[in-house]
Amino acid sequence: MALAIVSTAGSVLGGCGRVDVHSPSVRGLGYVRVDAVLKHHPLYSQLSQLDDAIAAINLAAAAPHVPRSAAAISRETAQLNRQLRDAQNRANKILAQKQQNYAKREGQAVAAAMAAAGVGAGGSQVASAMSATSAQQARQAASAANQDFMAYQQSVVAQDSAASSAIARQLQQQAAQKFRAKAEQLQQNETDLSLRITQEDAAQRLAVKTRLSNLALDEATRKQLDEQLAAINAKDSAAMEAQRRADAATLQAYRAQLSAQTNGDVRAQVGAIQGATRSKIEERRNEVGTQLRNLGPPALPTNIPAGVREKIAKIHAQFTSQFQVDAQKTIGDYNAVKADLDRQFAGLHGADVGATGAAAQELDALQKRRDALNKQIVDQITREATRIAKDRGFSIVFVNVAAAQGGYDLTNDLIKDVESLHE
Amino acid sequence: MRNRFVTSLLVAALLAALVAPAAIAADLTDVGYVDQAELANIPVFLNANRQLFAYKAQLDAQFNATIKRAKSDADRQRISLQFQQQYTDKQRELVGPLFQRAQLAIAAVSATRNLAVVVDKRIVIFGGQDITKDVETLFLGSQAIQPPAASPPPSEIGYVDQSVLDSLPKVKTANDEMNQFATTQRTLFAPKMALAKSDADKQQIYQQYNKSISDKQDQLLKPLVDQTKSATGDVAGKKKLLLVVDRADVIYGGTDITADVQNELTK
Repeated sequence: MALAIVSTAGSVLGGCGRVDVHSPSVRGLGYVRVDAVLKHHPLYSQLSQLDDAIAAINLAAAAPHVPRSAAAISRETAQLNRQLRDAQNRANKILAQKQQNYAKREGQAVAAAMAAAGVGAGGSQVASAMSATSAQQARQAASAANQDFMAYQQSVVAQDSAASSAIARQLQQQAAQKFRAKAEQLQQNETDLSLRITQEDAAQRLAVKTRLSNLALDEATRKQLDEQLAAINAKDSAAMEAQRRADAATLQAYRAQLSAQTNGDVRAQVGAIQGATRSKIEERRNEVGTQLRNLGPPALPTNIPAGVREKIAKIHAQFTSQFQVDAQKTIGDYNAVKADLDRQFAGLHGADVGATGAAAQELDALQKRRDALNKQIVDQITREATRIAKDRGFSIVFVNVAAAQGGYDLTNDLIKDVESLHE
Repeated sequence: MRNRFVTSLLVAALLAALVAPAAIAADLTDVGYVDQAELANIPVFLNANRQLFAYKAQLDAQFNATIKRAKSDADRQRISLQFQQQYTDKQRELVGPLFQRAQLAIAAVSATRNLAVVVDKRIVIFGGQDITKDVETLFLGSQAIQPPAASPPPSEIGYVDQSVLDSLPKVKTANDEMNQFATTQRTLFAPKMALAKSDADKQQIYQQYNKSISDKQDQLLKPLVDQTKSATGDVAGKKKLLLVVDRADVIYGGTDITADVQNELTK
């Protein structure tokens, strides 16, 4: 009997696990360091690879772009504009279909309202036709405004490229002139030095040569005088050579200094021009956007009774609101393409815009895969933590803890658990 | 007879051992949580956020146009602050009253349930009291919500405001230095990465870049992180707190130990 009780009590204590969950220092509270568990999950290496791939694309995108020629900028701008036009056409086509559909349904609703009010069908046709015309006008206005904007953008870009090229050419010419002037100055200095050395040695050289012209000189003295003359020549040559080497080094350093200065000046001036270009385009874009947003609702014919007019206005507002909700996705897709093209355009003009085009798409796809995988791993960790917490009788389990002086750290138990799941 | 006596003693001892811990300290039951993401989906909040989003888009366009006309850094700073203020004012106007009502609803429900602390759902993975539905019901009701008569009872869950600790001079200096280093490294490695011909080259360059950043983090930030953890733990011990979480995760109640941790760190 006693043994049975001891055995039962032992199993009750053993069932609580290695820790007494209800002790004063724990009080049913557990916590998990999810980051630590995550690193032991069998899928963590995949998650790390995705993180690395994302960071690598971002790193490559942070590289300063090699300055392009004016012609290349114009060519790439035209290409971006073509892509923007295609995206606009696609979006407009979808929106036109939706608009037609809504206009038709709105016409039917207006006709029904007018019939119910005893107004002739003619009025309803007018209202419905007017709604369709209004939609068509809005589309045409948007299309014309966008065409106008692109033409403006093209012309501003062309001006920008021409001005940038002219400035670069001018600064390079100035640098070449400075370099030529410096080279000529050094050349003149060398000539002066040569003359000065010759003059300094003239008396000595003449004395030696005069003595050499004496035919009665013995062989030893002639040899000694020849050596003296050779030494004078060698000394002069060495002095000239040293000067030439020093001048060549000075010129090389000057060329590097001029080149760095010119490149800096070109960058600053071209940067200022490109900044002004971006501002002009941005201002025009805002103007166009405001114009399009200000397109008003259609005016109703005057021969319709006030009550019916009010009802038609309500129907119109209702369909407009429904259309706007429906059109949001198309507009959202178009805006995403446009935002990317805008960033590519800004990048073309020297702005730091991160990944664009194919790199941006790849980045987006990788980010989605990364988020999905991370969620899958964290969900699994949470499920396992919940199971352990239930089994051991915890009353609450936290994550993201800054510090703990009590409670029980479930992290190591979870690491073992998560690892064993995939053994 | 003797055997029966021994058995009785043994049973009494075991029962005492089983019952004693529960009698000394009860499990923590005064912790509630709210699903803030669910509250944010209440139509009035959605509507206010939509309006705020539209206002921000409009403000961004104005800001971009204005900042281009700035002539100096001081101008740019002034313009940025001015637009930031405009946005904050609008946010206060649109979301402020809703936020206040939600806070009152959380406080009222917490008082009814005797909760000492309410945290965000994202940091509780098991247990605790979910008060989201009660808060939602009270929030959506038509009556005015009265604040609870008493402040929440003292909680054994503490919190620190990480943003305050981040603004300490030595932490700020280290963070600034780290950001500067990261920018320089990016400038150095990005062109190499862009010119790399094969995936193997790219991987090698990225690993070098990553190592340089990671080494610098270990050198600059890790000692500060360790110091902060240790200071937070010490303060929690002195205040007899079981756990400390970040301020951002606490919605109501809890024990604020930010100033104490700050003092420890500046000693």
